[in-house]
Amino acid sequence: MNKIDYNQQMQTFPVLEIKHKTQNTFCLRVARPNVSISSGQCFNVGISGIDINREYSMYSDAAAPYLEFLIRAVEGGLVSTYLQKLKPGDLVELDGPYGEFCIPPGRINSKFVFIGSGTGIAPFHSFIKTYPTLNYLILHGIRNSDEAYDADDYQQGRYITCVSQNINGQSMRVTDYLRENHLSKDSIIYLCGNRNMIIDCVQILFDQGMNGDQIISEVFF
Amino acid sequence: MRVAISYPPIVNDLGQKAMVSQNRNVQYFKEPTYLLPVTYAQAATWLKRDGHDVLWDDGNAQLKTYKQWLEDLQNWKPDMVVLESTTPVMKFYWKAIEEIKSILPSTIVAMTGYHSMRMPEETMQESVADLVIRSSNVDFVLHRLVDYISNNPAWRLTCSLEGLHLRMRGKEIRSTGNFRQVEPLDKSPLIDREFVRWRDYAFENGNFLQTPGTYATSVIRDCMFGKCTFCRYNGPELTFSMMSVQRSLDEYEDLINNHGVKEIFDDSGVWYRGKEAREFAQGIIDRGLNKKDCYFGINTRFEYLDEETIMLMGEANFRFVLLGYEAADNETLQRLNKGYQLQHVENCLKWLTKYGMHPHLTIMVGYYWQTQEQLDKTVSEVKRLMLYGFARTLQVTLCTPLDYTPYHQECIKEGVLLTNNYDDFDMSKLIVKTPIPHDQYYKAVREMYGIAFNPLFILRQLRFLLNGRKRDWQFLFTYSIRAIRRVRQHIFNLTRHEGIKASKSSIVS
Repeated sequence: MNKIDYNQQMQTFPVLEIKHKTQNTFCLRVARPNVSISSGQCFNVGISGIDINREYSMYSDAAAPYLEFLIRAVEGGLVSTYLQKLKPGDLVELDGPYGEFCIPPGRINSKFVFIGSGTGIAPFHSFIKTYPTLNYLILHGIRNSDEAYDADDYQQGRYITCVSQNINGQSMRVTDYLRENHLSKDSIIYLCGNRNMIIDCVQILFDQGMNGDQIISEVFF
Repeated sequence: MRVAISYPPIVNDLGQKAMVSQNRNVQYFKEPTYLLPVTYAQAATWLKRDGHDVLWDDGNAQLKTYKQWLEDLQNWKPDMVVLESTTPVMKFYWKAIEEIKSILPSTIVAMTGYHSMRMPEETMQESVADLVIRSSNVDFVLHRLVDYISNNPAWRLTCSLEGLHLRMRGKEIRSTGNFRQVEPLDKSPLIDREFVRWRDYAFENGNFLQTPGTYATSVIRDCMFGKCTFCRYNGPELTFSMMSVQRSLDEYEDLINNHGVKEIFDDSGVWYRGKEAREFAQGIIDRGLNKKDCYFGINTRFEYLDEETIMLMGEANFRFVLLGYEAADNETLQRLNKGYQLQHVENCLKWLTKYGMHPHLTIMVGYYWQTQEQLDKTVSEVKRLMLYGFARTLQVTLCTPLDYTPYHQECIKEGVLLTNNYDDFDMSKLIVKTPIPHDQYYKAVREMYGIAFNPLFILRQLRFLLNGRKRDWQFLFTYSIRAIRRVRQHIFNLTRHEGIKASKSSIVS
């Protein structure tokens, strides 16, 4: 009954860069594992010292020579706050990719509406980087305007922020936008992020006559 | 409307009953295990609250014969019967539906469950069911649907509630599109325990060290991770829904104070982690529920809970922690999308044991790629973890493709399935081609269950008594007697095909 030394098989990858987007949100760039990856998939990112990992959706182009994750450091969260403090050259463990929150090849020419809250924008950023000719509209629900991460990466007019705590006293949630602006009936709608946002949006979409086959959801928290 | 939520008793040739086990898997056992189907119990509670007449009709837990069950159903004259499907009992259900419709022709038969939801067309073709509910959130769908049917006689034609396959007049089938993947779980009522006869499920369950025990309303519907290929909580149509911590705590308080429950298990695919896990454990402590002689149990994953959280759970009186170990080689874990690395297993188990919990490992054998080397590694590591006291109990199952999970679909695609007869998918024998003879896997099952009788294992349990914890005494003197009975049964069930020559195709050259 000899103990197997699993540490020798550990799958660790170096951190290449950390870009701090806001006080709490950062983009973690790590070396890419030699695996086939589809845009929209996630990885388990782990830390050896504390023996836990968490799932993060890929933020980068699926073909990029690196992986990027858009992460919000959660108050009291062990993994996210630890990752926030990493420096280039530090190691993280990666498992994956997993998940089917992807665009099937047969649907690539559809009209897409991507609705995300906070870092739930991550898979959609990956979509538009991976498929530059995609016909899309993004609704991004954020608390403050500084959370409009990498807004320049989206084509003009295709990225709409719904800021709930606007300093000018005007606030808008993605649900307000959906109530006021009916989406085209032939849209394929992807929702990602907070589960209450998803529940509320889906109800509005059903009320507006959308069919469940047009709606794909992924809950982050 | 009069709605029966029904579980017909299903008995095989050996006189064993089909029992629903962890994660809604069905296996045949002689020794009973009765698990409260919590989502269906919530559905029954909700429908009753909506003013419908509801029959909680679990023929298994109510110890009925099939004949008795059918007669009672006929006498009750339901407008709707709701059934829960899974692969190994599909053929039984197709026949049962025919019998129900022959004695109750105007009764609407609704099929639910993970097999039918993935294969609704098949269910509609092979049976005379009136509809298939494709959502795992049957409580939400039934709440909407029963109300709709009550008020709309032409419901087959007009109903647009999402996630249904409906039989129109004649043979035409109508789909209302995909279901809502996320539901607000706080809106589904907590289970009316008396109504669903909770005591029928409170004693005959191997997971309970103390009785009466019960299952809590699952805090996570489907699975927060949801990527393991063999698991039914996986697929592009599924994500997860979560119940609030405070609501779950309210339920625990009610179960302990008003029902005298001594052990509560939450069968969510994975239970809370991080902030919610700590908030829950702290809530138990703050409400004084950790001093009420009630143990708590959960399913979790390796690399989900950190030491600080586990320590708090220990203080809150958590005991039974079930972890999907599956195999001890990284290739298998990667192929299964398990999402954890083996070097973290030991620390997690150490912490659980250190803070007084009883970790339970679930292991599978017989993956279609599993080599002798991989199998030996698994047996050896499981032995080490058990004999060194890292884990307290285990269960071994034969990996069986079920409910058109990704693993099931992979087996079909790879051409490794040895049978298409759903009756063979009852987890009692291997049904995939494997690189080594099936007997090797059965032998491994026997070896792993045999750990319970190893003197080193028994000595280790005696050493645990030095901790002075009541649960360790119970484990040795109460649980072990029950465990021996169950271990024998598991060994019989999972190895009874040992030595029976598998079909030629079971051994790939």
